[in-house]
Amino acid sequence: MIITKNIKMADVIHTNYFTLSVLNRFGIELGFGDKSVDEICKKNNVDVDFFLEIVNAFVDKDYFPKKHLQTFSVKLITDYLQKTHDYYHKLKVPEIEHLIEEMVDSCYTQKENIVLLKKFFNDYKQELLNHTRREEEIVFPYTLAIEKAYNSVESDNSVIELMETYSIEIFQNEHDNIEEKLLDLRNIIIKYLPQPKNSRLCNKLLYELFNLEQDINDHSRIEEKVLVPKIREMEKIITKKFAEK
Amino acid sequence: MYKATFIIIEKSYLIRKGLISIIEKIPNTQVIQQFDNEDDLKTPANFESDFIIINPNLLNANTLNIIKKIAKNTQVISLSEKSIVLTKELEWTTQIYLDDTQNSILKKLNTLIGNRETKNVKSEVPEEISKREIDILKNIALGYSNKEIADKLFISTHTVVTHRKNITRKLGIKTVPGLTIYAILNKIIDINNTGKSKS
Ligand SMILES: [Fe+2]
Ligand SMILES: [Fe+2]
Repeated sequence: MIITKNIKMADVIHTNYFTLSVLNRFGIELGFGDKSVDEICKKNNVDVDFFLEIVNAFVDKDYFPKKHLQTFSVKLITDYLQKTHDYYHKLKVPEIEHLIEEMVDSCYTQKENIVLLKKFFNDYKQELLNHTRREEEIVFPYTLAIEKAYNSVESDNSVIELMETYSIEIFQNEHDNIEEKLLDLRNIIIKYLPQPKNSRLCNKLLYELFNLEQDINDHSRIEEKVLVPKIREMEKIITKKFAEK
Repeated sequence: MYKATFIIIEKSYLIRKGLISIIEKIPNTQVIQQFDNEDDLKTPANFESDFIIINPNLLNANTLNIIKKIAKNTQVISLSEKSIVLTKELEWTTQIYLDDTQNSILKKLNTLIGNRETKNVKSEVPEEISKREIDILKNIALGYSNKEIADKLFISTHTVVTHRKNITRKLGIKTVPGLTIYAILNKIIDINNTGKSKS
């Protein structure tokens, strides 16, 4: 189902529970009564068109209007990406850590195996943190500077200097597949880990890992297929603008 | 179990969807990626698939090169109207036409999958990892690089890479930390001895 402006926000969540995490990133809180998506977005100062494309792409992996997504401002896109990073670090990762911790505590027979998982995830957490930090400290500021130069009438040489030190091409090449390790972890738990007594926790952990993996997939898709081509286009035009001078 | 994988490159959403729904009728098949334009082909992506179905209209000098490169292990199938003349530069495995019936498409694909399966059978039989692979896995888990493993075992780096690919395919684990856990769980390495001794 494609979510549109006029349906009730409550129904969006009823039809797909996972949309909750997207709402959370846009700062939209529960308690909407019968208000529509449009009304709720206005009330929260959220660009409704952007919200719709993001939430629809999140729910349906076949739905990905990248050309339309590229028309939104870099600011809007990177804000969303940034909030998604926060969501991983402040909510998802601690939740998974907590689950693993619980597994360690409740498991007597194969504690050492669970400790292995714990270490694996701990390393992963660090890797994810490095990945998102690099984006926040280098990539996003760069894309914002490009957008600024792209929109301004005067041509400022500093952007050309900036483009000599970094380019979206570099990001594209260095952007690594951060989901891969989560898939490995999932496979290890499903196929190779001697099943702990407490299968409830184990199932819950799998479920959370799977969700995080899907979420990061969606996130990386926006980075690679929306942000990168958009900035590449802007870089071209800026270079042209300067060449003409 | 052998699974035939597909990549579809075609502009029209309707055609892509239609084709996918036909492919999915064949057991053990999977469409792993779809592209609606040639530009995206530039992005580094995982192109390892058994088949690529592409609309020849989306080929240009650039994409032709990319497809040629991956066509060594991948069979390329065209998707077009009958009237389109195919570029001679690519070896087309077969052609699917827009006015083909479902049965004829299924027949074409099944034949290809069948052929490929027989070819792959040899490498598919031993699903368990071999003794040699365990040796390699052990060294990976201990933190050695491909080059170091090659030197240690007196084999070429290329052979190490091939072994690694097979290990990953058999176990479903891609990354070094993942392989390390597998090695510990299966007592291939000792938990207290993870990491090569630096001397
Ligand atoms: Fe990111
Ligand atoms: Fe990223």
